[in-house]
Amino acid sequence: MKSRRVKDIEAYRNPLAAEWRQETVEYVKMAATPMAMQPTAYIRNSRANMLHGQVSELQVASVHDGETLALALSWEGVAPPGRDFPDAVAVTFPVRGNPILMLMGSKNDSIHILQWKAGKGVRSLLANGIGLSDKGPELKIASRAEEDGKRWRVVITRVLGQGANVAPVVPGHETKIGFAVWSGINDERAGLKSFSLDWIPFAVDA
Amino acid sequence: MSKKQVAMVMDLNKCIGCHTCSIACKTLWTRREGMKHMWWNTVNTQPGEGSPHGWENMGGGFRDGEPQRGFRPSEADFGTAWDFNHDEVFHGGNEDAFLHANYGEWNSGENWKGPNWDEDLGGGEYPNSYYFYLPRICNHCTHPACLEACPRKAIEKREEDGIVLINEDRCSGYRFCQEACPYKKIYFNETLEVSQKCIFCFPRIDEGVTTACSRQCPGRVRFVGYLDDPDGPIYKLVHEHKVALPLHAEYGTQPNVFYVPPMSSPKMDAEGNPTDESRIPLEYLESLFGPRVKEVLDKIESERQRVASGEESELMDLLISRKWLDMFGPFTKHPRDVVSASPVRIVDPAQTAKVDVVRIMDIRSKS
Repeated sequence: MKSRRVKDIEAYRNPLAAEWRQETVEYVKMAATPMAMQPTAYIRNSRANMLHGQVSELQVASVHDGETLALALSWEGVAPPGRDFPDAVAVTFPVRGNPILMLMGSKNDSIHILQWKAGKGVRSLLANGIGLSDKGPELKIASRAEEDGKRWRVVITRVLGQGANVAPVVPGHETKIGFAVWSGINDERAGLKSFSLDWIPFAVDA
Repeated sequence: MSKKQVAMVMDLNKCIGCHTCSIACKTLWTRREGMKHMWWNTVNTQPGEGSPHGWENMGGGFRDGEPQRGFRPSEADFGTAWDFNHDEVFHGGNEDAFLHANYGEWNSGENWKGPNWDEDLGGGEYPNSYYFYLPRICNHCTHPACLEACPRKAIEKREEDGIVLINEDRCSGYRFCQEACPYKKIYFNETLEVSQKCIFCFPRIDEGVTTACSRQCPGRVRFVGYLDDPDGPIYKLVHEHKVALPLHAEYGTQPNVFYVPPMSSPKMDAEGNPTDESRIPLEYLESLFGPRVKEVLDKIESERQRVASGEESELMDLLISRKWLDMFGPFTKHPRDVVSASPVRIVDPAQTAKVDVVRIMDIRSKS
């Protein structure tokens, strides 16, 4: 997967912008998080006979303008209003070391998460293991989302560069990227989600 | 496992359903945003739906040590708070005005329930109708299903006294705790997006002051102390005299609130004469407090008889609570004295669950 350099990012902040149609779309295969890896016996027992992680494909495109990275994320499944938990999507990058995505990183190998929730926008989180995510580093982030009742189209933007706990995303360099989707209609939250199984190489054009 | 366990015994023979405990708690702890529907202390009429409505059928807890699936009570299940229409009713000159503001909307929607909507309805048929009151708080369980369910380790059981607290800084509002708690005593704050519940007035306990609900109770219903303190009231009622029983012990969480089950008036026969049969069905009490109910009721009855015949009874003295402060174990200090000695106290934020500790002084307790 790569992020193509464009002259100006502004138009791309709109998930319905015609500009996105010019960009290469990657089809990321998603799978349910394994039940055995859910962190508490209550979650494992109570959800054993219930479906989660049913979003099997996430469409991703990305551009940047040297200052800001934009990721367009699109998937099928829009929860009706009034659910207890919102539809959500997350983009993950390794901060340092070689964190295992499925384990949400470890004490010294952090994962930087940009999580968007329907109705709430995007926030920065830092994960150091399953159940060990906390407020992440401050950086310039934004999101816009559109849905047509069936499909979400979300654009998440973040400033390029790196910093303490800000995962490095630097033009001319390759990093790794991962994804997760939560479906509100299935009461998905925490580790109940679909995810991209492993890191995907992510090259940022110079 | 905590080193000590603070606990409460409630004597249901003395609860008059006045809700002073509920108001004491509400005034002290649940006046922040998003807390309107929260009554960490509730008093329900039994038999009844309880609060949240139908909580005994919402699952959770443990069976054979295994966590059981539970359901999240909604805000409406707890009873949505409403505003009162005092101005219009008392000064508006409209004789059709309801005390309940937005009465029409309330009466037609799903939010028609209040926290004790079936107050005093009870069970049985006249002349053998009956009811009693069941006050409830968080049980600060020895085996807390909420704590074990939380994927974020946001719930802790304090080592020094076993009080179970939600750390709102760690809570992500996933609400697994609400599902797992079989007593449905955890509330969700939709404004702050965190779970909240009874904190056993820990800032007061830390200062040697008993909980607001126990200190304010006009009926002297609530005993507070350590479960393993042989000189305290809890140990005596639970372990020595064995007259205080856990509610729904079968839920498997080892609750630390215990109840002295209610004695009952006799059933009347067709001619209106009292019979030997209890008006509150024993089976019903056993469904709440387990198989030892009859043994406990028999014991209380026999101790009553001893006192009636002029003998002494430590159990009756204890239950009568002639000496009010004896009900509170080591927590006998007056809140006023604690506040004047230390008007502002800084507490470790990781333990406070964002509680405004200064509010310990809010309730001016009776002296």
